[in-house]
Amino acid sequence: MLLALPHFLSFSQREVLVFLTINVLVVCSYRLLTLTGEWSLGHVVMMGVGAYASAILAKRFGVHVPVAMLLGAGIAVVVALALSFPLFRMKGFYFLIGSFAAGEIIRLLWKRFRDPFGGPKGIKRIDPMPDIDFGFWQFTAFDPVSYYYFVLVVVTASLVVMWRIENSRIGLTFHAVHWQDSLAQASGISVRAYRTLALVIASGFAGLAGALLAHYIGTVNPNMFDIEQMVYVLTWAIVGGTATFYGPIIGCIALTVVNEIVLRELGLEQGRPLVYGLLLIGTVLFLPKGLEDAVARTWKLAAGLWSGRQVGGGR
Amino acid sequence: MTRNDNRYGGKTVISFAELTKRQFVKSLAATVAAGTAVGLPRQTLAQTETIKIGFLAPLTGPVAAWGLPGLYGCEIWAEWINDAGGVVIDGVGHSVEFIGYDNEYDPAKARAGASQLVIDDGVKFVMMLGGDTWPGAQPVADQTGMLFSTLLPSDLGPDTPTLIAPAEVHPIYNVTGVEWLAENRPELKTAVICAQEDALGLPSVATYLAAFEAAGIEVLGDPLLFDLATTDFAPIATRMLSEGPDIICLDTCYADYVHPLMEQLFQQGYEGQVISCTADFYDQITAKTSVEFMEGLVFQFPDFDDPALESDLVNFNDPGKFFEVYNERYPGQWGAVSWEYAAIMDLWKWAAERANSVEPADVLAAMTETGQGQHTFGTADWWGEDLFGINNALVGNWPVVVIEGGKAKIKEFRSIPDWYARHGDLLKKHFTEYGQMWNQR
Amino acid sequence: MFELLAQTGLNALYAAAYLSLVAVGLVLIFGVMGIINFAHGELFMIGAYVVVALYSDLQMPFVLVAAIGLVFVGCIGILMEFTMFRPLRDNPLGGLVASIGFLMVLQALVALGFGVRMEHVPPFTQEVIVLSDRVRLPVHRLIVIVSSATLLAALWLFLKRTKFGWALRASAQDPEAAALQGISLRTTSLIAMFIGGALAGIAGSLTAPLISVTPTMGHSVIVAAFIVIIVGGIGSLEGAVLAAIVYAFVHTGVTTYIDGVIADIVGLSLMLAVLIVRPTGIFGARDRA
Repeated sequence: MLLALPHFLSFSQREVLVFLTINVLVVCSYRLLTLTGEWSLGHVVMMGVGAYASAILAKRFGVHVPVAMLLGAGIAVVVALALSFPLFRMKGFYFLIGSFAAGEIIRLLWKRFRDPFGGPKGIKRIDPMPDIDFGFWQFTAFDPVSYYYFVLVVVTASLVVMWRIENSRIGLTFHAVHWQDSLAQASGISVRAYRTLALVIASGFAGLAGALLAHYIGTVNPNMFDIEQMVYVLTWAIVGGTATFYGPIIGCIALTVVNEIVLRELGLEQGRPLVYGLLLIGTVLFLPKGLEDAVARTWKLAAGLWSGRQVGGGR
Repeated sequence: MTRNDNRYGGKTVISFAELTKRQFVKSLAATVAAGTAVGLPRQTLAQTETIKIGFLAPLTGPVAAWGLPGLYGCEIWAEWINDAGGVVIDGVGHSVEFIGYDNEYDPAKARAGASQLVIDDGVKFVMMLGGDTWPGAQPVADQTGMLFSTLLPSDLGPDTPTLIAPAEVHPIYNVTGVEWLAENRPELKTAVICAQEDALGLPSVATYLAAFEAAGIEVLGDPLLFDLATTDFAPIATRMLSEGPDIICLDTCYADYVHPLMEQLFQQGYEGQVISCTADFYDQITAKTSVEFMEGLVFQFPDFDDPALESDLVNFNDPGKFFEVYNERYPGQWGAVSWEYAAIMDLWKWAAERANSVEPADVLAAMTETGQGQHTFGTADWWGEDLFGINNALVGNWPVVVIEGGKAKIKEFRSIPDWYARHGDLLKKHFTEYGQMWNQR
Repeated sequence: MFELLAQTGLNALYAAAYLSLVAVGLVLIFGVMGIINFAHGELFMIGAYVVVALYSDLQMPFVLVAAIGLVFVGCIGILMEFTMFRPLRDNPLGGLVASIGFLMVLQALVALGFGVRMEHVPPFTQEVIVLSDRVRLPVHRLIVIVSSATLLAALWLFLKRTKFGWALRASAQDPEAAALQGISLRTTSLIAMFIGGALAGIAGSLTAPLISVTPTMGHSVIVAAFIVIIVGGIGSLEGAVLAAIVYAFVHTGVTTYIDGVIADIVGLSLMLAVLIVRPTGIFGARDRA
């Protein structure tokens, strides 16, 4: 179904679909970080680190684009590792604010240093993915449908990896770190090491998402990774719910479709933030466990009705 | 294939696009042929069909003031043109309709918006603010050969021949104000500059540095940069005054910063000369300072009821009336961009009627055919290869505006190419220093 | 040289004055309710728009308008408490998202009602106290400084001398213990939201003639306010005021002697340094994460 999807959409909706798929990776990697109980406000900046790194590598040093993307993700990992030393002296609210400060400093450095970051206007004319002829199918980087398939493969692979991590011993330890901090410590787990691991993995995937974005739109600038974007990621995760793997994905898809397609179709240009804001408030008030909970309940209800009917049919 | 079906001229959208992204067009054609595309525009213009023009600019958020007031101006423009019979193609008048898309000054949204306007809505021309958002729309321009316009010529580049900067040639026109000041007040010898640190402020700093150097005015200290999140301008005013300059240059700042800066300079006792790119709502600045303080302020954006604009050389349809209607309908919204998008539409209409076609390639060819074009402030040259790598900026005269007795007056129209012929090397030097040359991007 | 220093000091004093009003409200709300009110900058913005509507447009007396700004925005605080924060009492992340939603709603409503462009607020007074040629204190700035000091002193008296104030301090220090003492968290939250909103509102109202009033103006204030409450120590009102003064002097000084962008980096680094070295803030004592 995901493969056929773009063919039912208008051209601009295909563009939105590409960005949406990339954002799914961002929000899922964000959830991985929250498993240990830490909420960061610097995640989008880590995405930006991947984007900037990959763009500079490809443009300045002529690194092959797919390689640059992976290196970009790698550099996001390194930066996250470096940041983990100061940041994991903090917890909870302090970590939230500390990650914001660290991210904002990185962003201001991009703005300040025109060489190599391009200053406020950022980097333009970033090399696109090379076009590839597979014989049966031609990949064209400028074409949203082509790029969507490419992104879909990368994001799906990343999600599988994150899923495996979550359900491995490491993932269980993440949960343990969240719920029973002192107990985990007593049982000999280095809490800090696991927090760092979660941050580093999450940042790596965020960096990859940033690189995917950078080589598609061909530009990066400091404003693309500001607190406003971070707030969107945060709201996707919380509105969707973070108890399940699919929660943030639902949140991201639902809010993006509402904001970018439904509200635009309604022609509510000026009123768009108004409706979006009201929807956010409404969701946390009336669906405090997130959309995932509503989906799970609907699912149960439907299943119940179904089995009920079958029982009824049996009589 | 229907896309090539064009009865107005020899050239077509596709033939233009072939110059740039042949590969993509092939795959696009395949997609179209497969019948899966949704809502492709009809390529022929039926007799009664409305011409759609895209308006892709920030309509919400902090940069909205650079988009929304321009859309208002376009709506007045469309009303006037439609009442007068529309754009005449093949002897038939077509009315014009603007379709707005809010890109929130974000490149990704600009890309989705450009696709929406060009491919889904089938517009014939897209006007943008440009800046951060242009690189997002660029692939769409490359793919489709659509004609785009920007207010910021620093977006221009040789790889996108269908992007033009036909109204605003920010920031190069700032040289005219400095040159005028140097000629009329030769006793002023030193200046300080402050600037907002963004894609608007930095190229402007480079331009002012070149203009001051050309005029023999010494710039004291490094330009003082401030972040867009600045609320209190007292420290910036204090710092500039501490240098003891003859001239204070406010560079190109949003009105949000020009006003408090002027207020602070006034409050801290400055009595010297000020030069600024814009002075939007200068009556409000006067209310916050004094008529005496504002006297002699040099900037670049005239009121459209200025008698100097009634001249035959000016290519803008009844500027005085436009100014009046605009202020009546959108009180307090008149600013630099209010007329600029409408002015671009004047040029576009002229070119479309000349080409007898609304197809982007034909209109562009008609626009640039003679190397000259009808700019608002007089006939101007298609220019810019030195700085932007392509002659797609329409550059000619620009007004020097001075506040006299609380009212903006055009003192003179001054030629930008003439200045450039004399001092071009200085501009290139400072542009290079600030990383603003096209090959530095 | 000395004149530059003196003028910078006066500039910083004004920045400290309005910043501490905003930050103290933010601290109070976080202390009592454990909620990060992201919409706090927008409360500041609404205070400024009260001035636009009543003073610029309807030409009511400025002092009256500032008082209305205080009460009106305080009431918005109460509205936020009733509609969002009370139902989300046990869900701090939900409260955060709701305040983000509320921020968007306020910005959009103001943009729809007043337009996206900067609003003009005529000066209340243009008098300037001239101390020397290059050292001047505009009277309006003095009014902001004095009003801020008066309001903060009044708040201090309220907290130390009244029963409500005592209850508020108790719940800010330890909500559970306060509840055991029979202090109603519902009442204290309501008071905290009113005071927090009112202080942000009057800060916006008082400074409206001096700054650019736009629907997005809250954004720049909130970052500075967060830096201040971290440096000052969360939960400490005195700390917030002291930190506002420190921050204002550092930021103004760096802007004057280097430039504005470096000043922002220095401010954020200061916050990060405090978080690393002493996460409870320089003046705070308690860990409440």
